[in-house]
Amino acid sequence: MASQPHSLSYVGCNFLRQRLVLSTLSGRPVKIRKIRAKEENPGLRDFEASFIRLIDKVTNGSRIEINQTGTTLYYQPGLLYGGVLEHDCSPHRSIGYYLESLLCLAPFMKHPLKIVLRGVTNDQVDPSVDVLKATALPLLKKFGIDGEGFELKITRRGMPPKGGGEVTFACPVRKVLQPIQSTDPGKIKRIRGTAYSVRVSPQIANRIVDSARSILNKFIPDIYIYTDHMKGTSSGKSPGFGLSLVAETTNGTFLGAELASNPQGQGTAVLPEELGLNCAKLLLEEIYRGGCVDSTNQSLVLLLMTLGQQDVSKVLLGPLSPYTIEFLRHLRSFFQIMFKIETKPSHEELQGGEKVLMTCVGIGFSNLSKTIK
Amino acid sequence: MEEKDRKKHRKKHSGPKADKKRKRHLNDLGLGDDEDARKRNPKAFAVQSAVRMARTFHRTQDLKTKKHHIPVVDRTPLEPPPVVVVVVGPPKVGKSTLIKCLIRNFTRQKLIEIRGPVTIVSGKRRRLTIIECGCDINTMIDLAKIADLVLMLIDASFGFEMETFEFLNICQVHGFPKIMGVLTHLDSFKNNKQLKKTKKRLKHRFWTEVYPGAKLFYLSGMVHGEYQKQEIHNLGRFISVMKFRPLTWQTSHPYVLADRMEDLTNPEDVRVNPKCDRKVSIYGYLRGAYLKNQSQIHMPGVGDFTVSDVSFLPDPCALPEQQKKRSLNEKDKLIYAPLSGVGGVVYDKDAVYIDLGGSHAHQDEEEEVRPNRELVQSLISTHSTIDVKMASSKVSLFMDSKPLGSEDVENQEFVMPKEEKQIDLKTGRVRRKAVFEEENDNGASGEEEGQDEEMSEDEMDGSEDGDGDDEGESDKEVPGQDLGLRSAKRVKREETTEEAGMELPAFADSDDDLEMSSGEEGETDLDESKEEVEDHGDEEESDEKESSDSDSESSSRQISKLTPCELGREDKEQRENHNLDHRLGKKVVPTTDSGNCTAEEASDSEAEGSSLEEEEEEGLNDDSEAEESDRKGIQSAPEKNVDGVEWAESKVVEDEDGGDDIENLLKEEEEYGEENDLSADTAGALKWKEDLTQKAAEAFLRQHQSAPNLRKLVYGTVAEDADEEDDAHEELGGLFHVSRPDKESKQKANALDCSKFPVETPQDWDLDEVMNSIRDCFVTGKWEADKDAAKLLKEDEELYGDFEDLETGAVHKGKPAAEGDEAGSEGEEEDKEGKEPKAEEEKNKRMDKKRKLKAMFDAEYDEGDATYFDDLKEEMQKQAQLNRAEFEDQDDESRVQYEGFRPGMYVRIEIENIPCEFVLNFDPHYPIILGGLGNSEGNVGYVQLRLKKHRWYKKILKTRDPIIFSLGWRRFQTIPMYYIEDHNGRHRLLKYSPQHMHCGATFWGPITPQGTGFLAIQSVSGTTPDFRIAATGVVLDLDKSITVVKKLKLTGFPFKIYKNTSFIKGMFNSPLEVAKFEGAAIRTVSGIRGQIKKALRKPEGAFRATFEDKLLMSDIVFMRTWYPVSIPAFYNPVTSLLKPAGEKDTWTGMKTTGQLRHELGIRLKQNKDSLYKPIVREKKHFNKLHIPKALQKALPFKNKPKNHEKKAKPTKDQWRPAVIREPHEKKISALLTALGTVHSYKIKKAKLNHRQHLKDYLKRKHKEEEEKFKRQKEAKKKLFRIMGQKEKKRQKSSLKGSREREK
Repeated sequence: MASQPHSLSYVGCNFLRQRLVLSTLSGRPVKIRKIRAKEENPGLRDFEASFIRLIDKVTNGSRIEINQTGTTLYYQPGLLYGGVLEHDCSPHRSIGYYLESLLCLAPFMKHPLKIVLRGVTNDQVDPSVDVLKATALPLLKKFGIDGEGFELKITRRGMPPKGGGEVTFACPVRKVLQPIQSTDPGKIKRIRGTAYSVRVSPQIANRIVDSARSILNKFIPDIYIYTDHMKGTSSGKSPGFGLSLVAETTNGTFLGAELASNPQGQGTAVLPEELGLNCAKLLLEEIYRGGCVDSTNQSLVLLLMTLGQQDVSKVLLGPLSPYTIEFLRHLRSFFQIMFKIETKPSHEELQGGEKVLMTCVGIGFSNLSKTIK
Repeated sequence: MEEKDRKKHRKKHSGPKADKKRKRHLNDLGLGDDEDARKRNPKAFAVQSAVRMARTFHRTQDLKTKKHHIPVVDRTPLEPPPVVVVVVGPPKVGKSTLIKCLIRNFTRQKLIEIRGPVTIVSGKRRRLTIIECGCDINTMIDLAKIADLVLMLIDASFGFEMETFEFLNICQVHGFPKIMGVLTHLDSFKNNKQLKKTKKRLKHRFWTEVYPGAKLFYLSGMVHGEYQKQEIHNLGRFISVMKFRPLTWQTSHPYVLADRMEDLTNPEDVRVNPKCDRKVSIYGYLRGAYLKNQSQIHMPGVGDFTVSDVSFLPDPCALPEQQKKRSLNEKDKLIYAPLSGVGGVVYDKDAVYIDLGGSHAHQDEEEEVRPNRELVQSLISTHSTIDVKMASSKVSLFMDSKPLGSEDVENQEFVMPKEEKQIDLKTGRVRRKAVFEEENDNGASGEEEGQDEEMSEDEMDGSEDGDGDDEGESDKEVPGQDLGLRSAKRVKREETTEEAGMELPAFADSDDDLEMSSGEEGETDLDESKEEVEDHGDEEESDEKESSDSDSESSSRQISKLTPCELGREDKEQRENHNLDHRLGKKVVPTTDSGNCTAEEASDSEAEGSSLEEEEEEGLNDDSEAEESDRKGIQSAPEKNVDGVEWAESKVVEDEDGGDDIENLLKEEEEYGEENDLSADTAGALKWKEDLTQKAAEAFLRQHQSAPNLRKLVYGTVAEDADEEDDAHEELGGLFHVSRPDKESKQKANALDCSKFPVETPQDWDLDEVMNSIRDCFVTGKWEADKDAAKLLKEDEELYGDFEDLETGAVHKGKPAAEGDEAGSEGEEEDKEGKEPKAEEEKNKRMDKKRKLKAMFDAEYDEGDATYFDDLKEEMQKQAQLNRAEFEDQDDESRVQYEGFRPGMYVRIEIENIPCEFVLNFDPHYPIILGGLGNSEGNVGYVQLRLKKHRWYKKILKTRDPIIFSLGWRRFQTIPMYYIEDHNGRHRLLKYSPQHMHCGATFWGPITPQGTGFLAIQSVSGTTPDFRIAATGVVLDLDKSITVVKKLKLTGFPFKIYKNTSFIKGMFNSPLEVAKFEGAAIRTVSGIRGQIKKALRKPEGAFRATFEDKLLMSDIVFMRTWYPVSIPAFYNPVTSLLKPAGEKDTWTGMKTTGQLRHELGIRLKQNKDSLYKPIVREKKHFNKLHIPKALQKALPFKNKPKNHEKKAKPTKDQWRPAVIREPHEKKISALLTALGTVHSYKIKKAKLNHRQHLKDYLKRKHKEEEEKFKRQKEAKKKLFRIMGQKEKKRQKSSLKGSREREK
């Protein structure tokens, strides 16, 4: 008998996605205990259950055991299968929550993944589909994941609390990833964005655009913010509006920021002008942090670097987010890989905050699911 | 006489002299050089045919591209591990002799017995690990996977043997290493012609197997039991210049060929339970890829394990330092073979081993220096302080240079005797000759000779052996004696071990006792050792002359005379001690470490505190202070932000990582910092103003120092973590726990899982300063000097600025640098200074210009030539360079953490839970390999293969028969199912593998990357006369479920037949089953197709079905279905290394049913129906076709049955009677016929005649016509000529006339 590698054990539901994704990629079983054990409503939430179901859908032969109260989860990964799938995401979290993990897994499936995700496309908590489309997809392209069947399409927009959005994500399969060396983020040459509004006055989008431009115009003239007003069935079930901005640099780095209105019936109403201003400021903050990858995608780029060939990969990041820091620890426990972390003070004064240079040697990962003929 | 004897002069046909001569000769002839041919005779080189030219071009390009391999990143480390040279061949072919000769050739040293791998330094940049491969198929498989170079020994007097071909096929499957053939026993050929023929035959056979042109080396004969020196030298040269291709499997997996193994199990555990699982440390060079700690490995022949600890050791057989000489110094010619007991002092984590006698004992001068050097070197390279080491370790020693490996002290005693017996058995072995069809004729005749030769050779071998032994004895009496001594001691040890085992607990408590006892022992043994020394005296005179350090040696020798049992015990003891000390050491290290950290970070925190203060103050004084403070504000703003971020981070971590030691550190720092602050406060409230610059500098420093902090923040203090925890547990004896604040409780374990990084303290983006902080992130901001477009443009201007406009004739001068910089006010002054024409500057500028031009030209010129392949290759090279450069400047300790242990390092790997048989039955002759596994390669699943039965394997393979696979690192038995893929992608099960075709196979076993080759053998035990490799192939797919199906025919019988509808029974058992198959296609044996409609109620499982025609009651209806096959989850690793010594090649796993039946004598009961019997077919009567009348009427005429009424008998008048002639009438009629015949003949003849006449006439006529035509032509010609002449005359006369008239 091949000795099954002993499982890793964790406590608490935080970073559940990381753990399950890394477990799937590394083939090591994982056990998570005490999931909200001391809360009034113990156990896994709906959205986590939905996520686990999604993982089950894209894999073949994985074993998932959850105890009665849902406070303990044992996951023994199978092989990534892919194919044409559909998934109804829980409206408690946006599709971004699910999509982030799928982005990590999709290149290593047996069959190219083509999945329709239904739920909330934009909310205030998770990175929205728009931002992921604008920042994460170009990032994957740098690793050689590209081609015709690589797209993320938003067919319907759905805002919280009821959702009703729909997104199609398709990703080709790769056997190996290229190493990257992106240490120079370049300079921002243009800013693009989408101001969306569903089930509210279409004028709102224009108001958002105007206010956002008022700030950004001070830096660069090349700004274009699309207004995206969805009607009818493609507008989901709840009203709402928001803005996502992306700054593109000369070296193909994409930095994103976004803001969405409060969900219907929760919190006070937000003025579109205010939202536009705040979102623009968020983008400036993101630019201040800088790096070759924006703060939401740090973990993705680190994962893909880890899964590269046995070559050196380098990437310059802004300050590490707590999520990324935990992700680094997880990478070490799942793949025994450590990153060389060097702090790079910005050389010139007017280039934003401190940067971190991350260097690693890939583990020589190869897609074990892909069939050869 | 002398004149005749002298050699005739031979003209040179090649070489520079001959070339020169030829050239001169050609020049004399006026032909000139070869190159000039093109010039001389351009027509010969002109394009004759565009098509052919295109074709030749195409072909050359094809050939060129064919040579390309897909470029891969070159990942060979700077200091590569020793090359693994596997010496393989059937028994008695001269493997060990060759190894000994090679070692002697490289190191000038003679090894008596070789066990396990031997590592030697063969050149300035190359080391070799030589290992012998017996003909056990397990060993052959394992070694083929790790070999870089294979020396394939072939007994030329016998020819190829099956082992050779088996090994070649194994190699082909597992990535083809370099293979070099070596022919031995060539001296047994008396006849030179025969020798030549044999060589040629073997060479060609070898080429077909390896590749045409593969090197085959000839070792002509033996001299004193050794191969000829020159030949070995040449072979060595070949080996040391050989280049190797990277093999996919080897470069993508780390692996270690163990040259040492040591049992680290707690002796107490072993005492309590001798069969307890062992903890073992294994040593060897790491090869292939990076090895990570805690990763999964596989030991072929043992099983899967997780590495519990890896550490790297100083290289025991290091390459010489950089030197300019071409050849090696004698002292650099190291040899390292711990299993064979050579190699000098060996240090490792646990102990120090001194091997007395040394590897170069016979040398005088060098010897003096070497041990000293090595000692010093090893002292330098040890990681713990000497004090710690001294305290922890007493020297544990070997007896002498004899092959007794230190580490396997315990093991050897079990192993040795049996092993020797095996060697004795060798002579009675049966050789497996590989005979081929093509060679048959040769073989038949040659066999007898072969036998004779073999006989004689055997005799010769025997005599040679005898010689060798004698020689050995005469040469080395000492070893012989040693052997004797050792064996005696071994016996003693065996006796004493038990006692020791009993007494051990008593001793173990107090160190003093032990020391005492060892001291006593030392004393008691002193006499003995003295005697020994005297014995050795003769040989060691030279040794004793040696040295300053002979004291130490002799003392150590004295100690070395401790009885082995003592030694062993001491060893263990010391190991324990050491472990303890080690822990202590580790405990010490972190504290000091943290001390450092606190010191550093204290200053940091101070700085931070001060900067905070600064900012506050500034906030107060904001308006009052002038521009300067503003500027400071700008400067400090980013700092502040950074601080904010960092503090935020650290706080987050604090929250999360409560129990972590980092946190403790941080706390300490905080306290420290606070104290400092306090002191600062007491000093004076406004002191902050005084040393702003210093603080700024500190802040800057802090930025630099924050790198390790960030690392610590993420990973914690890396190395010490685990150990500290262990210590904490052990300190309190496991009864009590220190109730630390639980790490997990403090961590926000159940917080929101979100990847967003919210901004904690948003900056006010309305402020100009804040906005300015990111100005340069935009293209509109300032660019770096080397990228600024304006600047670049200017530079170009300077270089290329001056040109002459040819149209207008105006000359444009590039602006001198001074003028160009009008805008920049600071630059102007400098430039003015530079205006003074300095020759150097000018020159530099010109050079720059030239260089730039050249670069441009190069770029332009090369661009057309660079192909995709070149680009790719360049990219790979860049990556390789980066890989090498990235971690180059870091020390190994930290480098190992980032990269993992890199190939080329000498590592010590600890593994736990190894079955005790591995240690008990350890046999150094069998290689121990640790093969690293990639992620999830340790898991099991269904593996799909493309498989082909080997064409030399006699039988075909049966589905569900267990078979042994060699796949990846592993050898295992499993139950495969063979299938073939149908045209629609269905995997149909096969009962047997096809004879000469590929088929698919699926089994349940370890997941191995796709594209990995494998081979299958029926059994690994014993030898068979036939070829053993049953099948080969490649992994196609891995999955957790399978799709192999087998055909299942369900049959039923009609019990009621309507027109096209029938009721069928007997196919199913219940209506439910029918419901599942509604709409399925069914068929009768006669070919009438139909469909299942619906279940019937009455007989259970019957259903209604419709057909395209009416059935008969005798019809059988069947349905074709596909039934998924389940594959037995049987995966059984071949644990050949766990077998007792001497039986390692007798591993048997699960047996096939066939084997079992054969063994138990159970005959298969044949199904009666399956027996063949003559087919008797009844004659079938078919009724007449009956077409109903109505149908007949409706049919068109042509399809109507034509019922011709039977013709009535001809009536009497229609009926003609026969005429019978009279004889007279007969005559008349005969005559008439004859006359008629004659007449017709005549007419025919006349006709023929007439035709001939006509033909002749026509011919004649034609001739006449032609003549007539000719005549006429002639006449016309004449006429025209005359006319022409006349005309001419007339013209002439008229011209004349005119002329005359003119005149």
